[in-house]
Amino acid sequence: MRYLNGDSVFHRLDARTKIFLSLTLACLIVILNTAGSLFVLFILLLCGFFLIRPPASYIRIMFYLMATALFATLISQGLFYYFEPRTPIFTIIRSDTPIIGRLTGGIYLYREGLFYGAIQSMRLFSAALLSMVIVMTTYPSDLILGLNKLGVPEKVGFMLTISIRFLPLLMEGAKRIITAQKLRGLQLKGLRGGIKGFRYLIVPLTIDCLRKARRIALAAEVRGFTGKRTEIKELRFTSLDRAAFAVMSLALVLAIWQRLVR
Amino acid sequence: MISIRNLTYAYPEAHTPALQDISLEIHDGECVLIVGPTGSGKTTLLYTLNGLIPHVLGGRTDGEITINGLSPGKLPVREISRFAGTVFQDPESQIFMLKVADEVAFGCENLMMPADEIMRRSDRALAEMGMLHLRDAETFTLSGGQKQRLVISSVYAMGPDIFLFDEPTTDIDATGRKEFLEIVKGLKDDGKTVIIVEHQYEEFSQLADRVVVLERGKINGRVAHNTEDDAAPRRRQRPPELAVHLRLEGVRFEYKKGDPVLEDIDIEIRKNELVAVVGDNGSGKSTLLKIMAGLLRPASGEVRILGKTNPKMDDLVGQVGFLFQNPDEQLFTNSVEEEILFGPKQTGRTIDIERYLRLCGLESMRDRHPQTLSRGQRQLLAVVSVLALEPQILILDEPTTGLDRKSWSDLMDLLSALTEQGVTVVFATHNIMAGRYADRYIHLDRKHSGKGQKK
Repeated sequence: MRYLNGDSVFHRLDARTKIFLSLTLACLIVILNTAGSLFVLFILLLCGFFLIRPPASYIRIMFYLMATALFATLISQGLFYYFEPRTPIFTIIRSDTPIIGRLTGGIYLYREGLFYGAIQSMRLFSAALLSMVIVMTTYPSDLILGLNKLGVPEKVGFMLTISIRFLPLLMEGAKRIITAQKLRGLQLKGLRGGIKGFRYLIVPLTIDCLRKARRIALAAEVRGFTGKRTEIKELRFTSLDRAAFAVMSLALVLAIWQRLVR
Repeated sequence: MISIRNLTYAYPEAHTPALQDISLEIHDGECVLIVGPTGSGKTTLLYTLNGLIPHVLGGRTDGEITINGLSPGKLPVREISRFAGTVFQDPESQIFMLKVADEVAFGCENLMMPADEIMRRSDRALAEMGMLHLRDAETFTLSGGQKQRLVISSVYAMGPDIFLFDEPTTDIDATGRKEFLEIVKGLKDDGKTVIIVEHQYEEFSQLADRVVVLERGKINGRVAHNTEDDAAPRRRQRPPELAVHLRLEGVRFEYKKGDPVLEDIDIEIRKNELVAVVGDNGSGKSTLLKIMAGLLRPASGEVRILGKTNPKMDDLVGQVGFLFQNPDEQLFTNSVEEEILFGPKQTGRTIDIERYLRLCGLESMRDRHPQTLSRGQRQLLAVVSVLALEPQILILDEPTTGLDRKSWSDLMDLLSALTEQGVTVVFATHNIMAGRYADRYIHLDRKHSGKGQKK
């Protein structure tokens, strides 16, 4: 999952607005606690997701993720809901079954559990959709520039850029090291094999990282990097951003008010 | 003008100086090639010019350096970068940004130029390097040669009069090297001063106005000759046998559906042959080698490795050895001896450790940490550590990259010796001279079809 070129509303928002948007939405996900309001939030985010016109493969990924998450939360909450009152709607193991029944006290599917699970998965979905929307519509360097404008120092921003740039290379290196270990006969199966493999992975990986870091540092140095720099890219705060700010602030205030009053 | 007078330099905590009594004058617009084996101090000399020495790397400096009357020892590195730009060996670790346009502006932004001037300079630099059409591309999608041109563009945009190149052709293929020569020619025609540090220098001999030879930190008065004869491969004593170790028939491979990297590959390699795989970056050399080792399985076609049809990697452990390009990713342990014993220990075999130590010439360094060895020694150790499993086939991806002449000819001698002992060896290389050691070439072109060309 990565940045997609496009011209949706989200693409046009300023990176700072999107940072604010993520924060307020994250708060909303936690604050809202009625099934109805969470459902509305979820539907809105879903609309946002489709507004970007994601490719079919992304929609598939999202669908599988949601189906798995929904199934897992519904089942686990339905089975292990411990708050009273709880109403069994389906019996899996009766409490008078020999041995297992005694041990478990019976296993039932509870209606309240299913309901609670549905609310939780609504939160999960919203959080997943939110991050997907941000990743798909914000170029990493814009996000870093946004952070920068919000007061995060340039050096920290540069560090973030470097890590986005070099993390994939690091992963490839790790993969090659693991293959090389296997080829030299190391058995990586089981916990013991895993620990052993990790031990032999961490030495070359760390050293390779240090060598690379040194090269990167020298290269940045000779290109005059000191932390202070002009930025050719500019972020533009438009009326669209102001509107987004207003709507999000209002939503947040309403949500808090609803929680406090009830 | 660059003037160096009686320069002696030692790295922090080093007992012997890396540079001794160097005196050198380089005039404006000159193209100077600095050559010498690994450890001769040629890169160190470059660092004294761009200010990394002493500002970043420290150490003790004696003597005097001036560039256009200014002393790099007294200016911050950033100020030096205004008139002397540096391009290092590995383009990958010199690209910081995700977009080409951002990368080419990087240096100018650091010099705090006004935004409109940065845009102007960026476009001009990209145009000059033939990269303008890639302005909005993402940096990680570029080829090796394009990455290098991007790095040069970014330095060019900063507007230096002096260009310093540290082993610029090590990591790129033959086409990339040709393009690089064109770039240097262009810079020369523009009146820029160009200083190139290399250990492969035949290709530059026509471009360079002067060749400076460094040996153990000193300038060697003798001008280097083309020493191709020194590296002449030995004649093999034992011809390849009839048994076929590797056979590929109609092999096709694709990472992305409908975009094959390899197509219609028919190759037969016999026992104890020494085969070189050559071709530009992106022609599928690494992919072919991985298929030969069972690391990748073809989309269609048949691969027979040591009599097994389309085997999995796990079935070949110990029988087929594979070496990735970077030896450092394949040295896991804390001593040379432990490294060689690693494979045999896993597979429960006992070996004659002395024999393997002799093979890589590290008898006196058996307790050293592998990562403290020189690059050439690390490469040899990585090869020998794979050999300790006594494989029947050894496959190496670009084993000569980054090695100086002595190191790679040592390695090629070792590989030739192995084939005499009955091991089949296949290696990919950009190094034309190393390729001469092979019994024959497999040439891959970008049209994805492989031809087993007899030498």
